[in-house]
Amino acid sequence: MTIRTRLTLWYAGILILSLLVMGVGTYQEISEQLRHEHRRRPEDHALDETGEMVFRVGLPAVALGLLGGWWLTRRALAPMAKLTAAVEKIHEHNLNTPLPRSGSGDELDRLTEVFNAMTARLDGSFHRIREFTLHASHELKTPLTILCGETETALRDESLSPEEHDRAVSQLDELRRLARIVDGLTLLAKADAGQIVLSREPLPLADLIRDNFADAQILAEPQDIQVELDACDAAQVWGDRHRLRQLLLNLTDNAVKYNRSQGRINMALRRLEGAVEYTITNTGPGIPPEILPRVFDRFFRGDTSHDQTVEGCGLGLSIAQWIVTAHQGTITVESPATGLTQVRVRLPLYPPPA
Amino acid sequence: MRILVVEDERKTASFIRKALQTEGFAVDVCHAGDEGLAAVQTTPFDLLVLDIMLPGRDGLSVLSRMRELKLSTPVLLLSARGEVNERVAGLNAGADDYLPKPFELAELIARVRALTRRNGESKATVLRVADLRLDTLTRLARRGDTEIQLTAREYRLLEFLMRSAGRLCGRMMIIEKVWDYNFDPGTNLVDVYIRRLREKIDAGFEAKLLHTVRGAGYLLKAPP
Repeated sequence: MTIRTRLTLWYAGILILSLLVMGVGTYQEISEQLRHEHRRRPEDHALDETGEMVFRVGLPAVALGLLGGWWLTRRALAPMAKLTAAVEKIHEHNLNTPLPRSGSGDELDRLTEVFNAMTARLDGSFHRIREFTLHASHELKTPLTILCGETETALRDESLSPEEHDRAVSQLDELRRLARIVDGLTLLAKADAGQIVLSREPLPLADLIRDNFADAQILAEPQDIQVELDACDAAQVWGDRHRLRQLLLNLTDNAVKYNRSQGRINMALRRLEGAVEYTITNTGPGIPPEILPRVFDRFFRGDTSHDQTVEGCGLGLSIAQWIVTAHQGTITVESPATGLTQVRVRLPLYPPPA
Repeated sequence: MRILVVEDERKTASFIRKALQTEGFAVDVCHAGDEGLAAVQTTPFDLLVLDIMLPGRDGLSVLSRMRELKLSTPVLLLSARGEVNERVAGLNAGADDYLPKPFELAELIARVRALTRRNGESKATVLRVADLRLDTLTRLARRGDTEIQLTAREYRLLEFLMRSAGRLCGRMMIIEKVWDYNFDPGTNLVDVYIRRLREKIDAGFEAKLLHTVRGAGYLLKAPP
């Protein structure tokens, strides 16, 4: 039954009820009037009587009509509210889960059906894009392998002139950068397609942090950057050792690259209520607020003046974000105009506190 | 030393062959899995460089079949997929090493050298290269009469380089063995550590031991 028919029927019911109330009321009024007829002179009171009748009979009927209308709209819109709540929960990863249908065949049910078909099409498109990226990054590997191999073979040729040699070395550098980009892209494409399984275990995070701290000192040394570990609380997480080390190294690498020489990096691992928080701050020039929300975007490079000086594949923070999210954690970047740029990672403690 | 390369991509097979031949190996090439499996059964190779994606029988299947047949030829797997899971699968199937594509030629050569010399690797507790000594029990390093202080990571790096003394070590190989990373960190971590280590073991000494081979890797060797 369509909503229109249903609403019409319900409203007809309400109107009949109102009419009934009105009819019963009028009947009583009139019969009372007739009983007192002999004592009154109708021409004196006719106006009064009518007013009283409208007041006594019409008002309850109007009230009933209003109440019925309110109830009617509520009933009519209830499935709409349910649908809204269900649609709100849709995001790019659950597009393939259809919304529940009422099965009544009404307009809303039809809307749900059309909506489900649309999300299915969207899901298909997303899926194709993921597949495409995955295949593209995979297909790039064979020609890259050949290019790298042949360039390296050329480099081994003793008869190369110094210029030819330099050119080959520069080409090889670029090829390696390309290879790293393709690696990063493959990783993210696989992560999007849900093809990466983390090998998780109970992991003392403090050990990884101390390890990373030692590497950070070495990485920062050429630029005369001072690295400090302000806190390193004991805390265990349910994590993938390799991925978390990759995360820490990515963040350290960023903190060094975007720092100024003779700057400072501060790291801290703090145990909080139910979570563990790792922060890393650097004394670099900071990130302008307008680009701050985009720093996790793939291939996003903030300050164009950085492009020439900072080497990287433009995927470091995207990979970091994926690793944190895959561990049910959160990662945020803050960069106040007057202050230090800080990356904050929160991971759930393991076992979770009771 | 005779090596069999099983790789269906002809250009890749060709530069691998060229590089290994330049290094003094005798190299045979096959382009299909079954062909490779037949070859290892009839000819005693010292090493098999095996691509995973092959037409017909794939690399992993060749490997398992070889191990079933009790053929213990060392195998270096190559793969364009390069995921941790695949690496684990390859090593479980009996591979001796695994190299994801695209790889560096120097890296491939270094690994081939390591695999063909695996049995000859030094088990000594005191490693020596010229007048540099490293005691793996006390973790003390000395160059001549000078004692050298090393951090834990520097120690592991030096131990690895000394155990591979005279052999070229690729960056990825060092990252794997010393850092235990199975991904390319894309930083100059190794270069910076090498620079520090060089300051500690070579600075102030006439004969330099730690050498950089541009575009290829690092090499620790006694002066001629």
